[in-house]
Amino acid sequence: MKVLVPEVAHYFRVALATPFHIMAALFGATVLRRAWLGPSSLCCRTPGAPVSAAGLRFVSNAAPEDNRSPIIESTEEYKYVERLIPSSRIPTPPKHTGPTPSGWVPPADSPPSLPYMIRRSRMHNIPIYIDVTNSNRKLTLIRKVEGDIWALEKDVRQYLQEVTGKELPTQVNEVTMTLKVKGHFDKELKDWLVSKGF
Amino acid sequence: CSIISEYVFSLPLTPQFASSFSNESALPPNLLLPTNLVDPDRLKRPPPPADSSLPPLRKCDAAVPAHLTPVQTWVESLERQDSEPLGVAQLHPDVFAVPPRLDILHSVETWQRNYKRISHAHTKVRSEVSGGGRKPWKQKGSGRARHGSIRSPIWRGGGVSHGPRGPTSYYYMLPMKVRVQGLKVGLSSKMAQDDLHIVDSLNIPTPDSQYLLDLIRHRHWGESVLIVDVGEDFSENILQATANLKTVNVIPAIGLNVHSMLKHEAIVLTLETVKFLEDKLLWHDERYTPLYPFKLPYSDFP
Repeated sequence: MKVLVPEVAHYFRVALATPFHIMAALFGATVLRRAWLGPSSLCCRTPGAPVSAAGLRFVSNAAPEDNRSPIIESTEEYKYVERLIPSSRIPTPPKHTGPTPSGWVPPADSPPSLPYMIRRSRMHNIPIYIDVTNSNRKLTLIRKVEGDIWALEKDVRQYLQEVTGKELPTQVNEVTMTLKVKGHFDKELKDWLVSKGF
Repeated sequence: CSIISEYVFSLPLTPQFASSFSNESALPPNLLLPTNLVDPDRLKRPPPPADSSLPPLRKCDAAVPAHLTPVQTWVESLERQDSEPLGVAQLHPDVFAVPPRLDILHSVETWQRNYKRISHAHTKVRSEVSGGGRKPWKQKGSGRARHGSIRSPIWRGGGVSHGPRGPTSYYYMLPMKVRVQGLKVGLSSKMAQDDLHIVDSLNIPTPDSQYLLDLIRHRHWGESVLIVDVGEDFSENILQATANLKTVNVIPAIGLNVHSMLKHEAIVLTLETVKFLEDKLLWHDERYTPLYPFKLPYSDFP
């Protein structure tokens, strides 16, 4: 239902002096009729015309209702979130004297007085790793070596000679400071290095 | 020994003199050197000895491994051109005394050059060159060679058969730990070659570029200097002084990279920069593999 603007404007000019209920009576009829027709004639409804089923509604720019409860912001509960956020650093293991139930042995307090040093990995383990290529080539890799790597190579060869009785080929990479030994000797070498105190 | 050894190696020497394995530099007896030859290494102050009794101005925050000792360097000042060093600073050996892995430096430098590269070289293939849909002449009878289109690669004006098909991207990422190791190796190499200088702060008395150039020339720092500081606020004097200089540059600590370190002869770090770099670079040695990207919050991210 179209609103005839000049007529409405006339009503406004007239209605300025009139009290509220008379203004309601002037507008009420048109609005009610619009509301009655609303559900049946949805397609030809004028867009932007506010219709309320209750009846009277003034198109006004009044501020939103201020009598709602104000929004309170509180940051004290954030501590429950903060304690769930994980850490990014690997913790240092607690103090143990001697081997632990899992078999892990902490490094010695002072580094052994040898010409080489083998650091622990970031998870505090001995850096000896096993590799198998083409299902028959076995390698043992010792990483994180510092100092005189050739002295370590000599000691490893001598120790494995005592353990196995064979002269095992080794490869030293001075750039990456790693040592490769043919065969799987991770358990023996790990125990040997732990006994040295690395 | 830089100039003298360069001179030695450039002369046609017999193998017994070109000894890079002997401890002293073996100079031939008939070597004639100009008398006004300046050897900057002789004029430079030697680094402080490891057992010096001076109390250090700065100690390492992180724990130093038991088998390593901190690196000691002089802390200088930029206030006056000929001022003495203010004291000694201790630097963490896992950042400033790492073994010199030149292969890692090379791979990080090539990565820095190539990962941003997009080559826009593009040629049209025979199907993209306009025209050439029709058979130019019939297959048999004309006496000419048989052809199917005028834009085949054997024709003049035809498409290129195996040309560049751009734009091609050369993007790839090196592992984070390799890039971090590259920074550590770069800093350690600069420290080992006496090209790293620690300064207490970047306050200079004048915004004059010539003051900086005279200071660098006086202290024999080199031709190009990279000045690194933490934070976004730099003093106006240093910014103005380096604004018009091509060989002296100021960057924030987050902008430190291997290419800039190799491009500039000398690097100047402030004490706060050293702390920042040690925090950030040593964290990678003791961190977990990321549970979720590091951009999201962790409780103890450096």
